[in-house]
Formats: sequence, structure tokens, C-alpha cells
Amino acid sequence: MTQTQNAAPDEAAVVYPSPFKEFWQGFSHNKGAVVGLAFMTLILLAAILAPWIAPYSPIEQYRDHMLVPPVWSDGGTSQFLLGTDEAGRDILSRLIWGARQSLFIGLSSVLMALIPGVVGGLLSAFFPKLLGSSIMRLMDVLMALPSLLLAVAIVAILGPGLINSIIAISVVSLPAYVRLTRASAMTELNRDYVTAARVSGAGLLRLMFVTVLPNCLAPLIVHATMSFSSAIIDAAALGFLGLGVQPPTPEWGMMLASARDYIERAWWVVSLPGLTILLSVLAINLMGDGLRDALDPKLKRAA
Amino acid sequence: MFSFILRRLGLLIPTFFGITLLTFSLIRLIPGDPIEVMVGERSLDPQMHAAALHRLGLDKPLYLQYIDYVVNLAHGHLGDSLITRVDVWTEFTTLFPATLELAICAMIFAVVLGLLAGIVAAIKRGSLFDHGVMGLSLTGFSMPIFWWGLILIMFFSVRLGWTPVAGRIDLAFDIPPRTGFMLIDTWLASSRDPSLSGAFVDALKHLILPTIVLGTIPLAVIARMTRSSMLEVLREDYVRTARAKGLSPSRVIFIHALRNALIPVLTVIGLQVGVLMGGAVLTETIFSWPGIGKWLIDAIQRRDYPVVQNGILLVATLVILVNFVVDILYGVANPRIRHAK
Repeated sequence: MTQTQNAAPDEAAVVYPSPFKEFWQGFSHNKGAVVGLAFMTLILLAAILAPWIAPYSPIEQYRDHMLVPPVWSDGGTSQFLLGTDEAGRDILSRLIWGARQSLFIGLSSVLMALIPGVVGGLLSAFFPKLLGSSIMRLMDVLMALPSLLLAVAIVAILGPGLINSIIAISVVSLPAYVRLTRASAMTELNRDYVTAARVSGAGLLRLMFVTVLPNCLAPLIVHATMSFSSAIIDAAALGFLGLGVQPPTPEWGMMLASARDYIERAWWVVSLPGLTILLSVLAINLMGDGLRDALDPKLKRAA
Repeated sequence: MFSFILRRLGLLIPTFFGITLLTFSLIRLIPGDPIEVMVGERSLDPQMHAAALHRLGLDKPLYLQYIDYVVNLAHGHLGDSLITRVDVWTEFTTLFPATLELAICAMIFAVVLGLLAGIVAAIKRGSLFDHGVMGLSLTGFSMPIFWWGLILIMFFSVRLGWTPVAGRIDLAFDIPPRTGFMLIDTWLASSRDPSLSGAFVDALKHLILPTIVLGTIPLAVIARMTRSSMLEVLREDYVRTARAKGLSPSRVIFIHALRNALIPVLTVIGLQVGVLMGGAVLTETIFSWPGIGKWLIDAIQRRDYPVVQNGILLVATLVILVNFVVDILYGVANPRIRHAK
């Protein structure tokens, strides 16, 4: 946040910390980032351990206990800590199992956008003439469509479901990776070290992935974190519109789709899944801020 | 300047054709038969089925269908909805004012509050207000807006009964559509017909929650951007010079600093147009707002090919045109961009 450290007094006397330690110092300086990391660790553990820690099956319907409020409000029982939904399913268990869907969709769509995005970005930076400009025009086309609308259209074609949501979300987030990689690779390409590598006979693949790519990673990692959070929101939005993961699989956004009808009498059915989405996304964005501080000090003041 | 505009315009053409290719192929890949969708559950004998396919040109090879499609577009024919039989352009222009009205209100809400919050946060850097604004904007930025809409409805409409749950106007008011903007139409109607005097307030009440929901993410982005851009500018030498000259603090902030701080903020505002169109899909679904977003979602679910295809085309065209205008304005404001290759 503040800009204090100015000049290093004596270069020789400075002991450089290990890269990880240096990273952690930068990251942990941002308290929000640490809180975000802690919360996401919790969600991740819940997702992994779901079969063991969820009190009930997420799809089991307790017909005698429909729309039971959470334990702290009137009429709640300690049997169902966060209450039950309209079909008598335990909300806590559905949230825990739902974490699996959200994290899985988020992670896989980030990977599925990151890898082709980086390759496309590098290609268009190395061959800016024909290939590069056609890749960029293609990305312009994708960017002209509002992302959610494009995702909805893709899911409408492929049919609703988990895998198709992942495909839709990765297509939608692809252009940002391509542009980001291209922009940072273009600046790196003018540096002396790239010329040196080229002169000493490094091949194209080596230049792309070993020489240039590592120096473009910082903004990519920060962006990947941010797009992880938007992938979770988009997945939930698709679920909300009935186009994402299909019932009875519990998914946070889909839980809200059915909650709309109970808005007048069961606040917990409406509030809790959305609150979980909000907190997770907030936690990831906080982490992203911390990553930016640690990895990419240049960007610190920009956003 | 002129060559700059021409260059940008040249970039638009391949993008536009790319979009036509995309919307064309998207819709052909949808599983399910368009004729069956049209006739519904009833079965159709194969001859009539083939005749219907032929009439719609769906039996030709794909590349011919694409050429037909582009030629029709060039003639301004966007096709008819398979369900309502109304042509897509008419449907779009009828519904678009609803979305535009909502988007304009959301943008005003976001820009006014976002600029104010960002400026004050930058001036009072490190204060409680600053931390509050930063925390709230990060929360707003992380908000799943479909849930935000539900929560606002639950609180303000159901609990407190202050605002209506859905739609643009109470059914009791019969407002003749003149401009398509409900606020203007109700205003005009009530000035001529005193019995409609409550209509304007009613329309306003319908608009409040959707405006907040749609404006939340742009608000968060604008507040953050204004703050950091102001902080950057306030460090500049010319701001110190202005202060040293003895100018009043408000003059320094609003005339010297804000003008320069606004340039990146304007870009962000331009970029929010696409965000708004995406957000409109969810906001309109939640509030049953009869606009473009809800129309497209309904069309996708009903496999109304021409509507999906050309509705998306129209929205995308709108977005690239707005981005084009923002680019040009940016070039006007900043000569370095205008003269860059």
C-alpha cells in the first residue's frame, strides 16, 4: 500500500530472501489476502471432505422436515443447523457438496482458458502479421458479446450440464488471457535478453516458453485468480438460469433458482447459498489483491 | 484524426463479419429440430415437414444458408420470430427502450455515486471512509447480482412493501407507449390525463431495485478506478503547483486533478456497456423486466432461432459500436493514442 523502501544502501550487504519467503512477505503484508486464503482453504477442505463432514446426504429428502429454519431462529432445530429447503433437504450438506461443483467448474475453466490463451497470446506476439492479427480479430468477436450472454448461448447449444458450463465459461474468459499474454510478451520481445537468446540460436519453442513466458507470468497468475472468481459467479448464474449443473446435484447457483418461490416465507433458502457464493468470490478476490502485491508490484497502484 | 477514425472503422468490419459467422453457426449447432419446435407437441407428416424446411431455406447446404443470411442482413431483413411471427427488428426496437432505460439509470447511479465515493476516498486516504469505500467496492465487485436482486426484493418488496416485485408499471395504469421510456411516457401521460398522476411515481418505484442491482458492479469498478486514478494525479507536480499558488482546495481537486483523473475512468465507463448488457440478462430475468435480456433468454429456451441469432447479433453490434465511440473519444482526449500505430 505505502511506498516506503527507497534505495538499498549497500548492495553487497543485502541478503536476498528465498523466492518463496519473499513472496510470502509480500502476500502476508496484505491482511485481507491472508483472510481470503484462510477462507478458501476452509471451502477447499469442505469440498474435499464433503462425504465425511456433511451431516446428511445432499439429495436425501426429509419429507417431515420441509422448510425448517436454521437453528438460531424460531422453530429451528439442532438437527438441521442451517435449516432445510422446500424438499426437506439439509442446506448445510447441500452447501458443502455444492463447494465441489463450484470449485471444480472454477478450476477447470481457468485451466481450459489459461492454456490455449497463453499459447494463442504467445503466437500472436511472435507472429504479429497474419496469424497474430487473425487471432486478435477472433478475440474481438468473442469480446463483443457480453460474456454471460455468450455463455448462455454456448450452453444452449451444447445442452445444460457440468462439462458444458465449463466449456462455455472457458470460451468466454479466453480473450482476456490471449490479450494479456500478447501484451506482456510484446514488451518482453523488445528486451535485450530475448535478442541475446535468439542470437545464441534458441529455437522458437524455447524462445516462447522458456525465455519469454516466465517473464509474463506475474500478471497471468493475478488474472487467473480473478477469473477463477468470475468463473464461480458465471457458473452460479448459469445454474440460476437452469442451464448449469442439473438437479438433483447440489450447486450454489441452482439452489437459488428454486429458492425464488420461497422468498416470502423462507429467508434462509434464499440467503444462505448466495452468501456462500459472495464470501467465496470475495475471498478469492482478496487473495488476488495479495498476489498482485506480492508478484507484480508494478500493478499495485493501477487497480 | 480522420485517418485514425478510418483505421478504427476498418477494424470493425472483420469483427462484424466474425460475429455474423458466429451467430450463424451457433444457432445451427443447437440440437433439436426447428420445425418440431414450431409445431409443438403435434406430430407432422414428413411431407409437410420437408415443405416447411424448404420454405425457411433450412434444407440448403450450410454455406448457402450463410450467404442467404448475410444477403438478408444487408437488405435489413432480420427474419421473423418462429413463435410470435413478428419480425426480429420490430421486437428488438419495441423491447430495447426498456433495457436502455434501465441501463441509463444504472449507469447514472453508478457514475454519480462511484465518482463521489472515489474522489472523497482519495482525498481522505487512509480514513475510515476510505477503508469503507474500498471494502464495499470489493464486495460489490464480488456480488452475484442475481442473488443481490433476490435479497433486495426480499427486504424492500416483501418485508417492507416499499417497492413492487416485478415489471415496469402497475397494470392499473394504461400508458400509451410514445417513447418506450416508461418514465417519459408516464410523465407525458400524467400531464394530459390527471387520473394517471400516480403513474410516474409508480414507474420510478419499479425502476429503483433493478437500477441498484444492475448498477452495483459498475459502481464498484468506477469507485475503485476513480480512487486510484485520483491518488495518482494528486501526487503530480502540477497539483502541488496549483496548491502552492494558493488556489482553493475544491478548485485544485475538481478543476486540476479530476479532469486528468477522469481519462482512465472514462475508459472504464465505456467498458461497462458490455457488462451492463450481460447484467441485464440476469436483472431482467429476476425482475421480469420486459427488455432485451429477458427476450433473449426466453428465445434461447424456446429455440426461437431467428430471435436468438439476430438478437445476439444486434446486441454485439451495439457493444462494438459503443466501444468504437469510446475509442474515438479516447483518441480525441489523448493525442498519444491517436498517433500511435
